[in-house]
Amino acid sequence: MSATSFEQPQATILAEETKHRSELSQSWRRFRANRMAVVGLIVVALLVLMAIFAPYIAPYDPITDIFRGMRGVGPSPEHPFGFDHLGRDLLSRVIYGSRVALLVGIIATIISLLIGVTVGAISGFFGGWPDSILSRIVDTLMAFPLIALLIVLAAVLGPSLPTTIFVIGITVWARYARVVRADVMSLRSRDFITAATASGVKNSRIIWRHIIPNIMGPVIVLASLGIGSIIILEAALSFLGVGVRPPTPSWGGILADGRAYIIRYPHIAFFPGIMIVITVLAFNFVGDGLRDALDPHDRE
Amino acid sequence: MATEPNSNARKPFAMSRRQFLRYTAVGGSAAAFLAACAAPGVTPSTGAEAGAGEAAAPAAEGGGGTMVWMGHQEVAALSPDDTGPSVQYVLIANIHNPLVWSNEFNELEPMLAESYEVSDDGLTYTFKLRQGVKFHDGTELTAKDVKYTYDYYRNPDNAAVRIGDFGGIGSVETPDDYTVVVNMDEVNAASLVNWAGFGIVQSDYHAEVGEDTYKTAPIGTGAFKLKEWRAAEFTELEAFDDHFRGRPAIDIIRQDVVPEPSVRMIALQTGDADSSVWPLLVEDSLALKEDPNFTVFSTPGNSIKHFPLNNTLPQLSDKRVRQAMMYALDRQRIIDDLWSGAAQVANSNFPPTSFYARDDLKKYEFDPEKAKALLDEAGWIEGGDGVREKDGEKLTFTITTITGDQARRPIAELAQQMFAEVGIDVQLAEAPVASILEGMRNGTMDASLFNWTYTTNAVEPDPFSTLHSKGGNNFAQYSNPRMDELIEMGTQIVDPEERKKIYDEVQEIFVEDVPVLYLQFDEWLNPFSNRIQGLPVDPKTADEYYLRANEWTLAE
Amino acid sequence: MARYLTVRLFHGAIVIFLISILTFAIMRMMPGDPVYLLFGEGQVRISEEQMDAIREQWGLNEPLYIQYLVWAKNMLRGDFGDSLVRRGVPVRTMIFEAIPVTATLNVFALGLALLIAIPLGIAAGIRRNSPLDYATSVGSALGIATPNFWLGLMLIVIFSLYLGLVPPFGLRSWKGYILPVIVLATEQMAVLARVMRASTVEVMTEDYVRTANAKGLPRRTVILRHAVRNSLLPIITVIGFRIAFLLSGTIVVETVFAIPGIGRLFTDSVFRLDYQVVQSLVVLLAVLVVASNIVTDLVYAMVDPRIRIE
Repeated sequence: MSATSFEQPQATILAEETKHRSELSQSWRRFRANRMAVVGLIVVALLVLMAIFAPYIAPYDPITDIFRGMRGVGPSPEHPFGFDHLGRDLLSRVIYGSRVALLVGIIATIISLLIGVTVGAISGFFGGWPDSILSRIVDTLMAFPLIALLIVLAAVLGPSLPTTIFVIGITVWARYARVVRADVMSLRSRDFITAATASGVKNSRIIWRHIIPNIMGPVIVLASLGIGSIIILEAALSFLGVGVRPPTPSWGGILADGRAYIIRYPHIAFFPGIMIVITVLAFNFVGDGLRDALDPHDRE
Repeated sequence: MATEPNSNARKPFAMSRRQFLRYTAVGGSAAAFLAACAAPGVTPSTGAEAGAGEAAAPAAEGGGGTMVWMGHQEVAALSPDDTGPSVQYVLIANIHNPLVWSNEFNELEPMLAESYEVSDDGLTYTFKLRQGVKFHDGTELTAKDVKYTYDYYRNPDNAAVRIGDFGGIGSVETPDDYTVVVNMDEVNAASLVNWAGFGIVQSDYHAEVGEDTYKTAPIGTGAFKLKEWRAAEFTELEAFDDHFRGRPAIDIIRQDVVPEPSVRMIALQTGDADSSVWPLLVEDSLALKEDPNFTVFSTPGNSIKHFPLNNTLPQLSDKRVRQAMMYALDRQRIIDDLWSGAAQVANSNFPPTSFYARDDLKKYEFDPEKAKALLDEAGWIEGGDGVREKDGEKLTFTITTITGDQARRPIAELAQQMFAEVGIDVQLAEAPVASILEGMRNGTMDASLFNWTYTTNAVEPDPFSTLHSKGGNNFAQYSNPRMDELIEMGTQIVDPEERKKIYDEVQEIFVEDVPVLYLQFDEWLNPFSNRIQGLPVDPKTADEYYLRANEWTLAE
Repeated sequence: MARYLTVRLFHGAIVIFLISILTFAIMRMMPGDPVYLLFGEGQVRISEEQMDAIREQWGLNEPLYIQYLVWAKNMLRGDFGDSLVRRGVPVRTMIFEAIPVTATLNVFALGLALLIAIPLGIAAGIRRNSPLDYATSVGSALGIATPNFWLGLMLIVIFSLYLGLVPPFGLRSWKGYILPVIVLATEQMAVLARVMRASTVEVMTEDYVRTANAKGLPRRTVILRHAVRNSLLPIITVIGFRIAFLLSGTIVVETVFAIPGIGRLFTDSVFRLDYQVVQSLVVLLAVLVVASNIVTDLVYAMVDPRIRIE
């Protein structure tokens, strides 16, 4: 909240560069010891496999196989998730839906990380007027109700998969920027950085060799935790009618369709909802595990 | 009797070339539904004299109570000028009374007028007002209020939405307090349903506060007066003790705003509400039809559910392409699979119930082979990716549906597959209503999907606004000189049999040119809990039955 | 201190200015023309002249920068203009009708969340890796992972439709608040429980706790005292956060439960192109966020002596 003016009390940073390598293997050991994180990782891996091999796993085509007279028919042994409101096999649509969820979740996270880390690092490292300007931009984005901004932007650009990824990516980076800025500021005052600066090492080299590697830990944690919330964001956008375009199957979109039929065909909303919960849960467990593993201090 | 109405809209006030567009929450608070509307069928009764309708509804006895209706969107304003959306119409028309009312059976019923006369030349209307009619503020209705209402809303300076209703009026005179004479500049057979169906406002009050304030605090003569108005939450009306037909039995009418159709259904089932002014999902309505605790009114619609197409796009400008698309659509399947059968395949721009409707026109039965043949003939040949092309141009376009329109979007998704079968690539997009109407009107959008009337209404056949090249709602950017000529001729003929010949040809051209891909005429379904007693039996026009609320009682 | 406040207020003003421009620009980029909706929703023969007259009356024919300046000037005077859709009703009335509704819901939800999450979080933090800790972790993970609109729908189906315990929509009776408050609280509860657990765990590793332990003070008392004090910061953060996300958090919930708060006012207005309402609402909320950020920081400084105002 207060990054502009206060030292964050919890701005503990990972160990310095020298310790980096041994820390990694230690971290991995700590991660493995966390059962929920491991389960989460396995689920994430399965989801990724499901998304990649969707055409081989899905029993039917999620878009073109429309069964006559099967609108909203419930689960059966041949169609374990039942049919959607058009008479399409819901299981197949849910399987393909993982593609959109992961695509949006991962690409939007990467975009926002790239922007967020860059802005945060510049802001934190240089301070002064670049920091002032960037901090105001970050403040502005943080003060703009996120979903409101997304709704309006999506409406302006015309809802679609690329739009969804793009608008989420360019709006959620502010929180990464804040954290990175705070971490960089505290790193900059560390001895090894001060020493490097004093001995005439170029700023860009300091940033790349010393700063970035040292903030990667918290950033990875933030990112893995962020993917989950982005997947929910995508679902919320589709729920409000400004997300991924039909007939592309996305969990949020299927859920939005199912919402209209919640009494008559509750299974339509139920299954994608469950998938969202499982996916977000898995990413969050991995994120928690990473956080505990990378930083024994349990940062929040 | 030409008949029918449709569903959608405020009938009495409807007429003249107007369409109604209704918002809906079928999926989403901001979703909107476009529906067109038409007015009720009314016998063109020039020179007829209405019997002094002293129907004096029996002052219902009963134990008061609160009746809850649900709408899907907020009630934005409450002046008689704001009767466009159904959710507003049913309230506004309970607060105000017109001189005559075209009721739920499409019959003219005298309201504030005790009797009326139309001169033989159709140019002079003389209304005798009831005496002793009180406004909600206790003042008495006189001819002055009628004259004020008509003069205010027909004055172009006041930018009234319903100004079109008053077309043809030359002047309004008040020889005495209970007589109103309307002099017409030109004959307009729909007058009685149009302006005579327009609610009368308290003139002194309206003049004092102005239209904008009046929209928030109306004073009429209706059986119910405004109690509390919270646009986005609910609107509450209470019984008006001094109503001229007697105080209604029900104390309070509350209309709640419930955007989610599924939540409206739950509220009906749990008894939290008694009726839904805006329909539920078709399946839910049909289920309530089978439920002994509910009565569901089903009235035929006269708006066409259709894909308006921008005819000026190179890939859509050849009528053979548009005809091929009609053959490619299995419209009966759309109705069966997605609309639970509660609709009829459209075979003309006229609703089947219309006096002018032809049923001997080309039918466009589902025939993908014929579609392919037509496309081949038009020079669109299948390319490598299964999409047809011609001169390097792909046969592709985008259908933009209304944001959150969960009810109709599946139709576009199914149609997309049907078009893909014959090599036409359709993309889907969503946008808010305001964007779609502007985009289609200006020709910046390819196609959309909504309901609209391609006549004027059930009675009046003139399709000027939608099919004339200069029409204000010519969403198809359609232009056919012969069509323009026919439309211009059609409005100058009075005799219905003579006019029919014109509109026979209009329909022939419509079906041949396929300016829009017409799908179906829907049934309009309104559920009522059986807690409400005294409902009309088998009404013919949607919405109008809500104006009977003053005759209903509530069983506990 | 005074200098600090001045700087913060100045920064806040810049942010609000940027937001007003951003909102104005984005809204005007939305395709469509509000006149189409308002002027008859298609009911009437709309002549071009009539439409133009209306645009003129609404000031939509002016160049954009003039429109912005007029709006900004009026905003500064506290005049938010009139709604394009709900004629005759000032935007201010619409917004101030909606705010109490949303605020009430959020206050209840936050109260509920604090009541449950704080004890749970502390207990979980003290007994790390106990079954309780796992249950709390899984529970809060579940709470965070569940889309609130989905939860809302499922709760309506179960508690209104099947059990008939609460009304499916509206806030007319106190029962109407139950489901929306639960849905809103679930998310906050989950976040709060995590934060509490984490800060408790952090406290437990602090030197002074170890020292206290070593000195033989009852371990539980020490942890509890420090943990509770330490928890004030995250709680303040979360409350500040709630204000910032007042709108975002309630948009979907208000849609599902038919609650006429600012979330629904916002989405409805976006889709209806009711420019004045959207612009005014966003700027107003931005002011709220900026103010709450400053207050949060001040409170931070008061609560935690380690933080000093620059």
